Amino acid sequence: MELLDRYLQSVKKHLPWQRQDDILAELRANLESQLEDKEAELGRQLTPGEAEAWLKQIGPPIQLAARYQPQQYLIGPAVFPIYWYVLRFASLLALIVYSVVSAVLLFAGAYPTLGATFGAILRIPGVLLTTATWVTLIFACIEFSIARFGTGWLPADKFPASAGNGLNWTPSSLPPIEKNAPRDKKPPSYARAVAEVIFGFLLIVWLLAIPAYPFLLFGPGIVYLRLSPFQLEPVWILFGLWIVGLNVFQVSWKLIDLLRGAWQNPQPWRTIAFKAIGLIPILVLISQPVLFSLKHPQLDQQRYGATLDLVNRSVHRGMLCVLAIAGLQLMWEVGVRVTNSYRQRAAAAR
Amino acid sequence: MTLTENLFENLRLELRRGCLSLAVLAQLRREHYGYTLRKALAERGLEIDESTLYPLLRRLEAQGLLTSEWREEDKRNKRFYRLSSDGQQIFAQLLEEWQAINASINSLL
Repeated sequence: MELLDRYLQSVKKHLPWQRQDDILAELRANLESQLEDKEAELGRQLTPGEAEAWLKQIGPPIQLAARYQPQQYLIGPAVFPIYWYVLRFASLLALIVYSVVSAVLLFAGAYPTLGATFGAILRIPGVLLTTATWVTLIFACIEFSIARFGTGWLPADKFPASAGNGLNWTPSSLPPIEKNAPRDKKPPSYARAVAEVIFGFLLIVWLLAIPAYPFLLFGPGIVYLRLSPFQLEPVWILFGLWIVGLNVFQVSWKLIDLLRGAWQNPQPWRTIAFKAIGLIPILVLISQPVLFSLKHPQLDQQRYGATLDLVNRSVHRGMLCVLAIAGLQLMWEVGVRVTNSYRQRAAAAR
Repeated sequence: MTLTENLFENLRLELRRGCLSLAVLAQLRREHYGYTLRKALAERGLEIDESTLYPLLRRLEAQGLLTSEWREEDKRNKRFYRLSSDGQQIFAQLLEEWQAINASINSLL
Protein backbone atom coordinates (compact mmCIF):
# COMPACT_ATOMS: atom_id res chain seq x y z
CA MET A 1 0.00 0.00 0.00
CA GLU A 2 1.53 3.27 -1.13
CA LEU A 3 0.12 5.34 1.71
CA LEU A 4 1.63 2.97 4.30
CA ASP A 5 5.01 3.17 2.52
CA ARG A 6 4.86 6.94 2.59
CA TYR A 7 3.92 6.86 6.26
CA LEU A 8 6.82 4.54 7.15
CA GLN A 9 9.22 6.63 5.09
CA SER A 10 8.23 9.68 7.11
CA VAL A 11 8.64 7.77 10.38
CA LYS A 12 12.10 6.60 9.31
CA LYS A 13 13.35 10.16 8.93
CA HIS A 14 12.84 10.76 12.65
CA LEU A 15 14.07 7.43 14.04
CA PRO A 16 17.44 7.00 15.76
CA TRP A 17 19.71 6.20 12.83
CA GLN A 18 21.52 3.25 14.47
CA ARG A 19 18.30 1.26 14.82
CA GLN A 20 16.03 2.74 12.17
CA ASP A 21 16.08 -0.23 9.76
CA ASP A 22 15.36 -2.69 12.53
CA ILE A 23 12.56 -0.58 14.02
CA LEU A 24 11.08 0.11 10.62
CA ALA A 25 11.05 -3.59 9.64
CA GLU A 26 9.25 -4.44 12.87
CA LEU A 27 6.80 -1.58 12.48
CA ARG A 28 6.09 -2.58 8.89
CA ALA A 29 5.44 -6.20 9.90
CA ASN A 30 3.06 -5.11 12.65
CA LEU A 31 1.17 -2.59 10.53
CA GLU A 32 0.94 -4.92 7.53
CA SER A 33 -0.48 -7.67 9.76
CA GLN A 34 -2.99 -5.20 11.09
CA LEU A 35 -3.87 -4.11 7.56
CA GLU A 36 -4.35 -7.73 6.47
CA ASP A 37 -6.69 -8.32 9.39
CA LYS A 38 -8.71 -5.24 8.56
CA GLU A 39 -9.01 -6.22 4.90
CA ALA A 40 -9.91 -9.81 5.78
CA GLU A 41 -12.63 -8.50 8.06
CA LEU A 42 -14.04 -6.23 5.34
CA GLY A 43 -13.53 -8.79 2.57
CA ARG A 44 -11.91 -6.11 0.37
CA GLN A 45 -9.05 -3.67 0.25
CA LEU A 46 -9.26 -0.47 2.26
CA THR A 47 -10.44 2.54 0.31
CA PRO A 48 -8.01 5.46 0.21
CA GLY A 49 -10.24 7.28 2.73
CA GLU A 50 -10.25 4.30 5.15
CA ALA A 51 -6.48 3.88 4.79
CA GLU A 52 -5.97 7.54 5.52
CA ALA A 53 -8.22 7.37 8.59
CA TRP A 54 -6.37 4.28 9.86
CA LEU A 55 -2.91 5.88 9.52
CA LYS A 56 -4.17 9.13 11.00
CA GLN A 57 -5.37 7.21 14.03
CA ILE A 58 -1.87 5.77 14.56
CA GLY A 59 -0.60 9.31 14.89
CA PRO A 60 1.81 11.75 13.24
CA PRO A 61 5.02 10.04 12.02
CA ILE A 62 7.24 12.36 14.04
CA GLN A 63 5.32 11.53 17.23
CA LEU A 64 5.51 7.79 16.66
CA ALA A 65 9.23 8.00 15.90
CA ALA A 66 9.85 10.17 18.96
CA ARG A 67 8.60 7.37 21.21
CA TYR A 68 11.50 5.21 20.01
CA GLN A 69 14.00 7.83 21.14
CA PRO A 70 15.58 7.42 24.59
CA GLN A 71 13.24 8.96 27.16
CA GLN A 72 15.17 11.98 28.40
CA TYR A 73 13.97 15.12 30.13
CA LEU A 74 15.77 18.35 29.44
CA ILE A 75 15.34 19.04 33.16
CA GLY A 76 13.42 16.37 35.03
CA PRO A 77 11.08 16.72 38.02
CA ALA A 78 13.77 15.72 40.54
CA VAL A 79 16.18 18.43 39.41
CA PHE A 80 13.64 21.09 38.43
CA PRO A 81 13.08 22.66 41.90
CA ILE A 82 16.84 23.13 42.32
CA TYR A 83 17.12 24.44 38.76
CA TRP A 84 14.37 26.96 39.44
CA TYR A 85 16.05 28.09 42.67
CA VAL A 86 19.44 28.49 40.98
CA LEU A 87 17.90 30.21 37.95
CA ARG A 88 16.27 32.86 40.14
CA PHE A 89 19.43 33.28 42.19
CA ALA A 90 21.71 33.51 39.13
CA SER A 91 19.37 35.92 37.31
CA LEU A 92 19.27 38.18 40.31
CA LEU A 93 23.03 38.04 40.75
CA ALA A 94 23.56 38.78 37.04
CA LEU A 95 21.15 41.71 37.26
CA ILE A 96 22.99 43.12 40.26
CA VAL A 97 26.47 42.67 38.81
CA TYR A 98 25.35 44.15 35.50
CA SER A 99 23.62 47.07 37.24
CA VAL A 100 26.64 47.87 39.40
CA VAL A 101 29.07 47.63 36.48
CA SER A 102 26.77 49.73 34.27
CA ALA A 103 26.34 52.34 37.00
CA VAL A 104 30.11 52.54 37.54
CA LEU A 105 30.72 52.88 33.79
CA LEU A 106 27.96 55.45 33.41
CA PHE A 107 29.16 57.61 36.26
CA ALA A 108 32.87 57.18 35.64
CA GLY A 109 34.27 60.59 34.84
CA ALA A 110 31.09 62.38 33.90
CA TYR A 111 27.37 62.34 34.47
CA PRO A 112 25.53 59.76 32.38
CA THR A 113 23.61 60.78 29.31
CA LEU A 114 19.98 59.74 28.97
CA GLY A 115 20.81 57.73 25.85
CA ALA A 116 23.52 55.73 27.60
CA THR A 117 21.24 55.10 30.58
CA PHE A 118 18.40 53.83 28.40
CA GLY A 119 20.89 51.75 26.41
CA ALA A 120 22.07 50.11 29.63
CA ILE A 121 18.47 49.40 30.68
CA LEU A 122 17.57 47.95 27.27
CA ARG A 123 20.47 45.49 27.53
CA ILE A 124 19.02 43.96 30.74
CA PRO A 125 16.75 41.39 28.96
CA GLY A 126 19.75 40.17 26.95
CA VAL A 127 21.82 39.73 30.13
CA LEU A 128 19.00 37.81 31.82
CA LEU A 129 18.43 35.65 28.76
CA THR A 130 22.13 34.78 28.50
CA THR A 131 22.23 33.88 32.21
CA ALA A 132 19.10 31.72 31.89
CA THR A 133 20.57 29.97 28.85
CA TRP A 134 23.78 29.07 30.67
CA VAL A 135 21.97 27.90 33.80
CA THR A 136 19.60 25.79 31.69
CA LEU A 137 22.49 24.33 29.72
CA ILE A 138 24.37 23.36 32.91
CA PHE A 139 21.27 21.77 34.44
CA ALA A 140 20.48 19.93 31.21
CA CYS A 141 24.00 18.42 31.47
CA ILE A 142 23.35 17.52 35.13
CA GLU A 143 20.03 15.88 34.18
CA PHE A 144 21.71 13.99 31.37
CA SER A 145 24.47 12.78 33.73
CA ILE A 146 21.94 11.73 36.39
CA ALA A 147 19.99 9.77 33.76
CA ARG A 148 23.19 8.03 32.65
CA PHE A 149 25.19 7.62 35.87
CA GLY A 150 22.70 8.05 38.73
CA THR A 151 23.11 10.53 41.62
CA GLY A 152 26.15 8.93 43.29
CA TRP A 153 28.61 11.40 41.74
CA LEU A 154 26.80 14.44 43.20
CA PRO A 155 28.35 16.13 46.26
CA ALA A 156 26.48 15.50 49.51
CA ASP A 157 24.80 18.91 49.59
CA LYS A 158 25.54 21.36 46.84
CA PHE A 159 22.96 23.86 47.89
CA PRO A 160 22.50 26.09 50.93
CA ALA A 161 20.79 24.43 53.86
CA SER A 162 18.28 27.27 53.93
CA ALA A 163 16.98 26.12 50.57
CA GLY A 164 16.30 22.63 51.96
CA ASN A 165 16.49 21.39 48.40
CA GLY A 166 19.84 19.60 48.11
CA LEU A 167 19.38 16.20 46.51
CA ASN A 168 20.87 14.55 49.61
CA TRP A 169 19.23 16.84 52.14
CA THR A 170 18.60 15.92 55.75
CA PRO A 171 15.76 17.25 57.92
CA SER A 172 18.31 18.61 60.41
CA SER A 173 19.83 20.83 57.68
CA LEU A 174 16.55 22.72 57.29
CA PRO A 175 16.48 26.28 58.67
CA PRO A 176 15.05 26.77 62.17
CA ILE A 177 11.43 27.85 62.63
CA GLU A 178 11.12 31.54 61.92
CA LYS A 179 10.26 33.37 65.09
CA ASN A 180 7.69 36.16 65.18
CA ALA A 181 6.33 35.26 61.75
CA PRO A 182 2.90 36.84 61.48
CA ARG A 183 0.38 34.01 61.04
CA ASP A 184 -2.47 36.14 59.79
CA LYS A 185 -0.60 37.99 57.06
CA LYS A 186 0.40 36.66 53.69
CA PRO A 187 4.23 36.59 53.51
CA PRO A 188 5.80 38.82 50.86
CA SER A 189 6.38 37.02 47.59
CA TYR A 190 9.77 36.54 45.92
CA ALA A 191 8.58 38.61 42.93
CA ARG A 192 7.76 41.49 45.25
CA ALA A 193 11.15 41.26 46.96
CA VAL A 194 12.93 41.27 43.57
CA ALA A 195 10.77 44.18 42.39
CA GLU A 196 11.72 46.14 45.53
CA VAL A 197 15.41 45.65 44.78
CA ILE A 198 15.02 46.59 41.11
CA PHE A 199 12.94 49.67 41.81
CA GLY A 200 15.28 50.58 44.66
CA PHE A 201 18.17 50.45 42.22
CA LEU A 202 16.26 52.53 39.65
CA LEU A 203 15.50 55.08 42.38
CA ILE A 204 19.24 55.37 43.11
CA VAL A 205 19.97 55.86 39.40
CA TRP A 206 17.26 58.53 39.30
CA LEU A 207 18.67 60.29 42.38
CA LEU A 208 22.18 60.23 40.94
CA ALA A 209 20.95 61.62 37.62
CA ILE A 210 19.21 64.62 39.25
CA PRO A 211 22.35 66.85 39.55
CA ALA A 212 22.93 66.53 35.79
CA TYR A 213 19.24 66.60 34.88
CA PRO A 214 17.38 68.66 37.50
CA PHE A 215 14.18 68.47 35.44
CA LEU A 216 13.89 64.84 36.62
CA LEU A 217 13.01 66.29 40.05
CA PHE A 218 11.50 69.69 39.26
CA GLY A 219 9.88 68.98 35.89
CA PRO A 220 8.96 72.16 33.97
CA GLY A 221 9.45 74.11 37.23
CA ILE A 222 13.20 74.01 36.53
CA VAL A 223 12.69 77.08 34.31
CA TYR A 224 11.45 79.14 37.29
CA LEU A 225 14.33 77.85 39.43
CA ARG A 226 16.85 78.99 36.83
CA LEU A 227 15.20 82.38 36.44
CA SER A 228 14.72 82.97 40.17
CA PRO A 229 17.31 85.03 42.09
CA PHE A 230 17.67 82.23 44.69
CA GLN A 231 20.08 79.29 44.76
CA LEU A 232 20.51 76.19 46.91
CA GLU A 233 23.17 76.17 49.61
CA PRO A 234 25.86 73.40 49.57
CA VAL A 235 24.10 71.68 52.50
CA TRP A 236 21.61 70.32 49.94
CA ILE A 237 24.43 68.36 48.31
CA LEU A 238 25.19 66.77 51.68
CA PHE A 239 21.45 66.11 52.09
CA GLY A 240 21.34 64.47 48.63
CA LEU A 241 24.36 62.31 49.40
CA TRP A 242 22.73 61.13 52.62
CA ILE A 243 19.54 60.23 50.72
CA VAL A 244 21.52 58.30 48.10
CA GLY A 245 23.63 56.61 50.79
CA LEU A 246 20.55 55.53 52.75
CA ASN A 247 18.92 54.12 49.63
CA VAL A 248 22.09 52.24 48.69
CA PHE A 249 22.18 50.86 52.24
CA GLN A 250 18.53 49.75 52.14
CA VAL A 251 18.72 48.23 48.66
CA SER A 252 21.94 46.39 49.59
CA TRP A 253 20.31 44.98 52.69
CA LYS A 254 17.26 43.81 50.73
CA LEU A 255 19.61 42.25 48.22
CA ILE A 256 21.48 40.36 50.94
CA ASP A 257 18.11 39.12 52.24
CA LEU A 258 17.25 37.90 48.77
CA LEU A 259 20.56 36.09 48.36
CA ARG A 260 20.20 34.51 51.80
CA GLY A 261 16.62 33.50 51.00
CA ALA A 262 15.44 35.52 54.01
CA TRP A 263 13.15 37.97 52.24
CA GLN A 264 10.06 36.47 53.87
CA ASN A 265 11.33 37.00 57.40
CA PRO A 266 9.74 40.03 58.98
CA GLN A 267 12.41 42.36 60.44
CA PRO A 268 10.48 44.97 62.44
CA TRP A 269 13.57 46.22 64.29
CA ARG A 270 15.37 46.74 61.04
CA THR A 271 12.47 48.76 59.68
CA ILE A 272 12.62 50.90 62.81
CA ALA A 273 16.40 51.28 62.43
CA PHE A 274 15.97 52.43 58.83
CA LYS A 275 13.41 55.00 59.94
CA ALA A 276 15.73 56.21 62.67
CA ILE A 277 18.64 56.59 60.23
CA GLY A 278 16.22 58.28 57.83
CA LEU A 279 16.01 61.17 60.30
CA ILE A 280 19.68 62.03 59.73
CA PRO A 281 19.16 63.90 56.41
CA ILE A 282 16.46 66.03 58.09
CA LEU A 283 18.89 66.75 60.95
CA VAL A 284 21.52 67.74 58.38
CA LEU A 285 19.14 70.35 56.95
CA ILE A 286 18.05 71.57 60.37
CA SER A 287 21.68 72.03 61.42
CA GLN A 288 22.00 74.77 58.78
CA PRO A 289 19.77 77.81 59.33
CA VAL A 290 20.49 79.06 55.80
CA LEU A 291 19.25 76.68 53.10
CA PHE A 292 18.82 79.17 50.26
CA SER A 293 20.90 82.18 49.30
CA LEU A 294 20.91 84.85 46.62
CA LYS A 295 22.69 84.24 43.35
CA HIS A 296 23.78 87.89 43.25
CA PRO A 297 23.69 89.26 46.82
CA GLN A 298 25.05 92.70 45.90
CA LEU A 299 22.32 93.24 43.33
CA ASP A 300 19.36 91.50 44.93
CA GLN A 301 19.87 91.86 48.72
CA GLN A 302 17.70 94.91 49.02
CA ARG A 303 14.91 93.57 46.84
CA TYR A 304 14.79 89.89 47.89
CA GLY A 305 16.61 89.90 51.26
CA ALA A 306 13.41 89.90 53.35
CA THR A 307 11.77 87.21 51.19
CA LEU A 308 14.87 85.05 51.43
CA ASP A 309 14.93 85.37 55.20
CA LEU A 310 11.24 84.39 55.35
CA VAL A 311 11.79 81.39 53.07
CA ASN A 312 14.76 80.18 55.11
CA ARG A 313 12.89 80.51 58.40
CA SER A 314 9.74 78.83 57.01
CA VAL A 315 11.63 75.88 55.55
CA HIS A 316 13.64 75.53 58.75
CA ARG A 317 10.44 75.46 60.82
CA GLY A 318 8.86 73.06 58.36
CA MET A 319 11.85 70.75 58.78
CA LEU A 320 11.49 70.95 62.54
CA CYS A 321 7.81 69.93 62.22
CA VAL A 322 8.75 67.02 59.91
CA LEU A 323 11.41 65.93 62.41
CA ALA A 324 8.93 66.14 65.30
CA ILE A 325 6.27 64.10 63.45
CA ALA A 326 8.77 61.49 62.25
CA GLY A 327 10.32 61.31 65.74
CA LEU A 328 6.90 60.78 67.37
CA GLN A 329 5.99 58.13 64.82
CA LEU A 330 9.29 56.38 65.47
CA MET A 331 8.75 56.47 69.22
CA TRP A 332 5.25 55.04 68.77
CA GLU A 333 6.57 52.17 66.63
CA VAL A 334 9.33 51.43 69.13
CA GLY A 335 6.70 51.39 71.90
CA VAL A 336 4.46 49.00 69.94
CA ARG A 337 7.40 46.76 69.17
CA VAL A 338 8.61 46.64 72.75
CA THR A 339 5.08 45.83 73.96
CA ASN A 340 4.73 43.04 71.38
CA SER A 341 8.10 41.57 72.36
CA TYR A 342 7.12 41.64 76.01
CA ARG A 343 3.78 39.93 75.24
CA GLN A 344 5.47 37.25 73.17
CA ARG A 345 8.03 36.56 75.87
CA ALA A 346 5.28 36.38 78.47
CA ALA A 347 3.25 34.00 76.27
CA ALA A 348 6.33 31.81 75.71
CA ALA A 349 7.03 31.71 79.47
CA ARG A 350 3.47 30.44 80.07
CA MET B 1 -11.84 19.90 26.29
CA THR B 2 -12.74 21.66 29.54
CA LEU B 3 -10.24 22.07 32.37
CA THR B 4 -11.92 19.32 34.38
CA GLU B 5 -11.94 16.95 31.42
CA ASN B 6 -8.31 17.77 30.76
CA LEU B 7 -7.41 17.13 34.38
CA PHE B 8 -9.26 13.82 34.33
CA GLU B 9 -7.53 12.82 31.10
CA ASN B 10 -4.10 13.60 32.56
CA LEU B 11 -4.82 11.65 35.73
CA ARG B 12 -6.26 8.75 33.73
CA LEU B 13 -3.16 8.57 31.54
CA GLU B 14 -0.93 8.74 34.60
CA LEU B 15 -2.87 5.90 36.22
CA ARG B 16 -2.74 3.81 33.04
CA ARG B 17 0.95 4.34 32.33
CA GLY B 18 2.27 2.06 35.05
CA CYS B 19 -0.45 -0.53 34.47
CA LEU B 20 0.45 -0.86 30.78
CA SER B 21 3.96 -2.14 31.50
CA LEU B 22 2.55 -4.66 33.94
CA ALA B 23 -0.07 -5.79 31.44
CA VAL B 24 2.52 -6.18 28.68
CA LEU B 25 4.82 -8.16 30.95
CA ALA B 26 1.89 -10.37 32.01
CA GLN B 27 0.88 -11.05 28.43
CA LEU B 28 4.46 -11.77 27.36
CA ARG B 29 4.76 -14.78 29.59
CA ARG B 30 3.68 -16.25 26.25
CA GLU B 31 5.53 -15.28 23.12
CA HIS B 32 3.96 -12.62 20.90
CA TYR B 33 4.92 -10.23 18.18
CA GLY B 34 3.72 -6.64 18.34
CA TYR B 35 0.43 -6.90 16.51
CA THR B 36 -0.81 -10.14 18.15
CA LEU B 37 0.17 -8.75 21.54
CA ARG B 38 -1.90 -5.65 20.86
CA LYS B 39 -4.85 -7.81 19.79
CA ALA B 40 -4.51 -10.08 22.84
CA LEU B 41 -4.52 -7.08 25.19
CA ALA B 42 -7.47 -5.51 23.37
CA GLU B 43 -9.45 -8.75 23.68
CA ARG B 44 -8.98 -8.49 27.44
CA GLY B 45 -10.22 -4.92 27.46
CA LEU B 46 -6.90 -3.12 27.37
CA GLU B 47 -6.66 -1.10 24.17
CA ILE B 48 -3.18 0.31 23.58
CA ASP B 49 -2.24 2.60 20.70
CA GLU B 50 0.36 1.32 18.26
CA SER B 51 2.46 4.39 18.95
CA THR B 52 2.55 3.48 22.64
CA LEU B 53 2.86 -0.29 22.54
CA TYR B 54 5.57 -0.84 19.94
CA PRO B 55 8.07 1.64 21.41
CA LEU B 56 7.24 0.27 24.89
CA LEU B 57 8.31 -3.20 23.78
CA ARG B 58 11.65 -1.82 22.66
CA ARG B 59 12.09 0.01 25.95
CA LEU B 60 11.30 -3.06 28.05
CA GLU B 61 13.71 -5.04 25.97
CA ALA B 62 16.44 -2.42 26.42
CA GLN B 63 15.83 -2.64 30.17
CA GLY B 64 16.46 -6.38 30.00
CA LEU B 65 12.91 -7.41 30.89
CA LEU B 66 12.14 -8.91 27.47
CA THR B 67 14.03 -10.94 24.94
CA SER B 68 13.22 -10.92 21.25
CA GLU B 69 14.02 -12.74 18.03
CA TRP B 70 13.22 -12.28 14.36
CA ARG B 71 11.38 -15.22 12.88
CA GLU B 72 9.39 -15.86 9.73
CA GLU B 73 5.70 -16.50 10.14
CA ASP B 74 3.05 -16.44 7.40
CA LYS B 75 5.72 -15.51 4.86
CA ARG B 76 6.62 -12.40 6.84
CA ASN B 77 9.55 -11.65 9.14
CA LYS B 78 8.29 -10.70 12.59
CA ARG B 79 9.96 -9.81 15.83
CA PHE B 80 8.72 -12.06 18.65
CA TYR B 81 9.01 -10.99 22.28
CA ARG B 82 8.80 -12.90 25.54
CA LEU B 83 9.65 -12.31 29.18
CA SER B 84 13.36 -12.73 30.05
CA SER B 85 14.46 -14.36 33.31
CA ASP B 86 15.05 -10.91 34.83
CA GLY B 87 11.67 -9.89 33.48
CA GLN B 88 9.98 -12.84 35.20
CA GLN B 89 11.52 -11.83 38.51
CA ILE B 90 10.57 -8.15 38.17
CA PHE B 91 7.10 -9.11 36.93
CA ALA B 92 6.52 -11.23 40.05
CA GLN B 93 7.55 -8.30 42.26
CA LEU B 94 5.44 -5.81 40.32
CA LEU B 95 2.46 -8.13 40.44
CA GLU B 96 2.78 -8.42 44.20
CA GLU B 97 2.98 -4.62 44.47
CA TRP B 98 -0.01 -4.16 42.20
CA GLN B 99 -2.09 -6.65 44.19
CA ALA B 100 -1.18 -4.89 47.43
CA ILE B 101 -2.18 -1.51 45.97
CA ASN B 102 -5.37 -3.01 44.58
CA ALA B 103 -6.25 -4.53 47.95
CA SER B 104 -5.57 -1.22 49.71
CA ILE B 105 -7.70 0.72 47.26
CA ASN B 106 -10.52 -1.82 47.56
CA SER B 107 -10.41 -1.58 51.32
CA LEU B 108 -10.62 2.22 51.05
CA LEU B 109 -13.68 2.11 48.79
